[in-house]
Amino acid sequence: MFLVALRRLLSAIPVLFIVSLISFGLMRLIPGDPAASIAGTSATPAQIEQLRRDLGLDEPLLMQLLHYYQGLLQGDFGKSLLLGKGVLAATMERLPVTIGLSLYALVLTLLIGVASGIIAALRQNTWVDQVAMMIAMLGISIPGFFLGLLMIIFFAVQLGWLPSGGYVPFTQDPIGWLRSTTMPAISLALLQAGLLARITRSGMLEVLRQDYVRTARAKGLPERQVILKHALANALIPIVTVVGIIISLLLSGAVVTEALFSLPGMGQLLTQAVLSRDYPMVQGGLLLVTTFLVLVNILVDVLYALIDPRVRYE
Amino acid sequence: MKRLSLSTGLVAAAMALSAAPLLAAPFTCPTRGGDLVFGQEANVNSLDQMTSSTISTRNIAMNIYETLITRDENNKPIPELAESMQEAPDGMSYTFKLRQGITFHNGKALTSADVAASFDRYNRIGLQRSTLDNVAGWETPDPHTFIIRMKQVQPTFVEALSSFSVPIVIIPSEHKDDERQQLRPVGTGPFRLLEFVPGSHARLGRFDAYRPNTAYEQRTGFGGYRVACLDTVTFRIVTEASARVAGLETGALHVVEDVPTRSVEALRRNSAITILPLQNWWIQIALPNTSLAPTSNLAFRRAVQAALNMEDIMDAASDNNYRLNVGFQYPNQPSYTDAGKETYNINNQQRARALLRESGYRNEPIVILTNRDLTPMYNAALVMEQQLKAIGINASLRVVDWPTSVQMSQRLNSTEWHFFHSGWGTQPALGALATMQFLVSPNAAYRPRDDKDDPEVLAAWNDMNIQRDPAARQEAFARMQRLVLERAYAFPFGSLTKVQASRANVKGFVPFRIPRFSNVWLER
Amino acid sequence: MSDAAVIDAEGIAQKREHPARTTIKRLLRHRLFMTGLVLFLIIATAAILAPWITDVDPNRLSMRNKFKPPGEGWIFGTDSFGRSLWSRVVWGAQLSMLIGASVVALNAVFGILIGAAAGYFRRIDNLLMRINDALMAFPAILLAIAVTSVLGPSTFNVILALGIVYIPRTARIVRSSVIVLREMEFVQAAVAAGAGHWRILTRHILPNAMAPVIVQLSFLFAFAVLSEATLSFLGVGAVPPTPTWGNIMAEGRDFMREAPWIITIPGIALMITVMGLNFLGDGLRDVLDPRLRIQQ
Repeated sequence: MFLVALRRLLSAIPVLFIVSLISFGLMRLIPGDPAASIAGTSATPAQIEQLRRDLGLDEPLLMQLLHYYQGLLQGDFGKSLLLGKGVLAATMERLPVTIGLSLYALVLTLLIGVASGIIAALRQNTWVDQVAMMIAMLGISIPGFFLGLLMIIFFAVQLGWLPSGGYVPFTQDPIGWLRSTTMPAISLALLQAGLLARITRSGMLEVLRQDYVRTARAKGLPERQVILKHALANALIPIVTVVGIIISLLLSGAVVTEALFSLPGMGQLLTQAVLSRDYPMVQGGLLLVTTFLVLVNILVDVLYALIDPRVRYE
Repeated sequence: MKRLSLSTGLVAAAMALSAAPLLAAPFTCPTRGGDLVFGQEANVNSLDQMTSSTISTRNIAMNIYETLITRDENNKPIPELAESMQEAPDGMSYTFKLRQGITFHNGKALTSADVAASFDRYNRIGLQRSTLDNVAGWETPDPHTFIIRMKQVQPTFVEALSSFSVPIVIIPSEHKDDERQQLRPVGTGPFRLLEFVPGSHARLGRFDAYRPNTAYEQRTGFGGYRVACLDTVTFRIVTEASARVAGLETGALHVVEDVPTRSVEALRRNSAITILPLQNWWIQIALPNTSLAPTSNLAFRRAVQAALNMEDIMDAASDNNYRLNVGFQYPNQPSYTDAGKETYNINNQQRARALLRESGYRNEPIVILTNRDLTPMYNAALVMEQQLKAIGINASLRVVDWPTSVQMSQRLNSTEWHFFHSGWGTQPALGALATMQFLVSPNAAYRPRDDKDDPEVLAAWNDMNIQRDPAARQEAFARMQRLVLERAYAFPFGSLTKVQASRANVKGFVPFRIPRFSNVWLER
Repeated sequence: MSDAAVIDAEGIAQKREHPARTTIKRLLRHRLFMTGLVLFLIIATAAILAPWITDVDPNRLSMRNKFKPPGEGWIFGTDSFGRSLWSRVVWGAQLSMLIGASVVALNAVFGILIGAAAGYFRRIDNLLMRINDALMAFPAILLAIAVTSVLGPSTFNVILALGIVYIPRTARIVRSSVIVLREMEFVQAAVAAGAGHWRILTRHILPNAMAPVIVQLSFLFAFAVLSEATLSFLGVGAVPPTPTWGNIMAEGRDFMREAPWIITIPGIALMITVMGLNFLGDGLRDVLDPRLRIQQ
């Protein structure tokens, strides 16, 4: 168990190295330098030039690469050109927002997705099944930003139930946090819940066909117990595999959602960094995010191994 | 020493005396208290006003910081933290007397040492430190006097010093070593910073120990008699236009920086909302690349000039919220001149075609460079492309993002574009001098070959800077504008109106270059 | 990989109906698949017939006619420049089909190449998979944004960017199948018989590995169409005024309340296309390999 996790961790290191190399190279290849972007649209060419010099963007590329890795080894992820503060500090400020949002969305996804998947499986081929799968399909097919915009118009403007944007930290005001993250979380969840519902349904159907379920039913066990005790646990296995994928999809989807709802999370930070050519921020930020994702995936794999004994000896 | 009561055009006679109480009653808050939320359209990453030139930073920072001198509602330089300013008769020094009893947000009293430290930091890392190029140094003979010594006479120095593009904000001396973008937000303004979350919001609160400038009765421009009636002001970043409109309608936002023109009709019918159009927000403009054929050919440029229908272009750029405008200043500015107006909005396809034939144009592909980040620039380019095609020019669009377009437009002897679309906002608002700097090297916007300015244009520019008589400087500006327009070195399309809006119970809010929250109150 | 298909491949000499024919028959009977096919064909047909079913150039400006709602004279109304939305959406269909098909083609070629190489040749497997994992570790959208920023905005570069983002995933799937197939008896038999690598791969392994890949590719088409819309929304997709659905939606977002048709109509078209493709993929998966349902 521990060995599995350790091995995964070690094999992740070369991946992370390549990630850092790719993000460095990619950023340097983008035309247009940070100065014009950071200086803003009302800056004069003279101001932009001044900024260019102040940011020290004329160092030779190889030197920059060297300094970058040098810093990394010392735990220095660099300093954002745009914000002026350390990449790690900026990330630590933003990450909780994205993680909070993603967790909220994950909970909603699991609830909606698993529940509807189970119901659809139990009422297979009835109208309930059809409708549930239709909605699931809609969820997967709609572009995230479209759904978000529709929700803003509907819930914020027409109904006035929820704010149309802005973020309230949980530590400051839990209710406020809930209100400010509900629409973004729902819009994220609906996109993924469909996926989960379909997988849950297939998994449940597969399991329900199995002999041990028929046996349980034949034994006269109450249906409820059959489902919860025997079927669900086994159906959960494929669900857990997908959770890892869903988490990274959520983080990816957060990019659009955060932009739409003006939430100061990692997605928005990184998108802005790429578009402003904030080299250090992109390099450091991507590295941190992928490290985080790798850790999450390892966790999921460990969880998977715990649940499914067949997988233990990989 | 000669009292500064200069001239026309740009420098005001409003340099008042010390805090003698005035006869008329200054502004008082009809109601006090309340929390206002402002919906800002662009992200803000730092509140370091000295190292930032972005509008979004200035929006917030100029409610927190103040400067020695600033601009009033009509763009004339006025004293703010300075009580008075005197220019030496030989023009080689400026003496500022500071107002008494000013404190910073951290309780410290303002002295000339703080002013000197602020100038030190600006000189070290300020984004527009070129303002101080002609300055030899500064002195602080006593805690209430600050003297700037010049290397050589610069008649336009006061204008430059009072610029709000990257203002020299006054900070406590202990903050002078703060790094770029890391300035601690302590100023002398009527509001102080309570909380700042980059990418999300900034919250300001009333600074109780603020002393309004008693040389005035009302707020004017960036200064004047300012009072914070509101308890707090929250600048919330709302990048999505429909979300801003939504927030305004639900009351989640009290004032909104920008409302798409399309939404104005619906909002106008809403009695709970006040529409606040801000005219002359920026000049929509296109610049030619005169280092590349055929835009290097005057006849070709004049053909293009004749083909342009400014109404259509501005309609597209601003969704019908614009003013036709000749030249580089606005009619309400004292420096306005319509020199060169015969070149504006000719809109004569026949004449354009004739000029095109004359120029010997042989269907070479013409590239119009624009960007997708700023809708008006994109829209204007789209319409311009169509208008050029209509007279037989083989025009096509090249759309990139803003930073790339800037980089491309500044490249020396570029062969990648013929016309570049842009918008000049802050600089025309600052005055003729600030605007015309775009049209001289380094990086003159019309991109002359090897960056060699047109000598006559350059001569006019020099006069704008060195003539001591303001009337002579104004004449030089008119001359420069005429030359630029007649030689088609720039195609200013018109001025764009920015539509702001507020809840009807927000009073005292007058749209300006920044949202000003002093002298603003919430009606009960 | 189901045993039935493996046996089919082996038993070519036996007198059975050609496996492909059975598959097609089963597909045609599959309700979901047919629904998806119909939806997709509607869009694809409109895309192909674009020059004939549109009367006006999708980029033709007409300021006088801006913001006309769907109705008299304008089937889908006009946008903020007075351009016919019907024209733009139909030509947008062509672009979406183009982008989707191209991304799929890229993935088919390079995904299979890389995946097969990694699965078959143990020595380069490690290196290839490390790079693969690295690319997959980037949040998809961010990688796409970065790549289009580097390459510059154009339809071609969007295709390239989405290709780069998704090829690792396709490669992984191919690799998994190849690894399993590599150990199977009939392949070992071919090796023992002295067949060359190329022959083994093309004749024995890949045909049996295709099922999950085909399923993946149909979902990929849908992903590509959706991703293009998201990239355009963020401002880094194909350069405007190219009438991709994403661009039309991005241009219409400021006017959602006053002129909702601009964003809604391409949105619906997009959803129909993606749903159709998802149904297609589901159907393919059901028919080609029921066991795949759980693996996704």
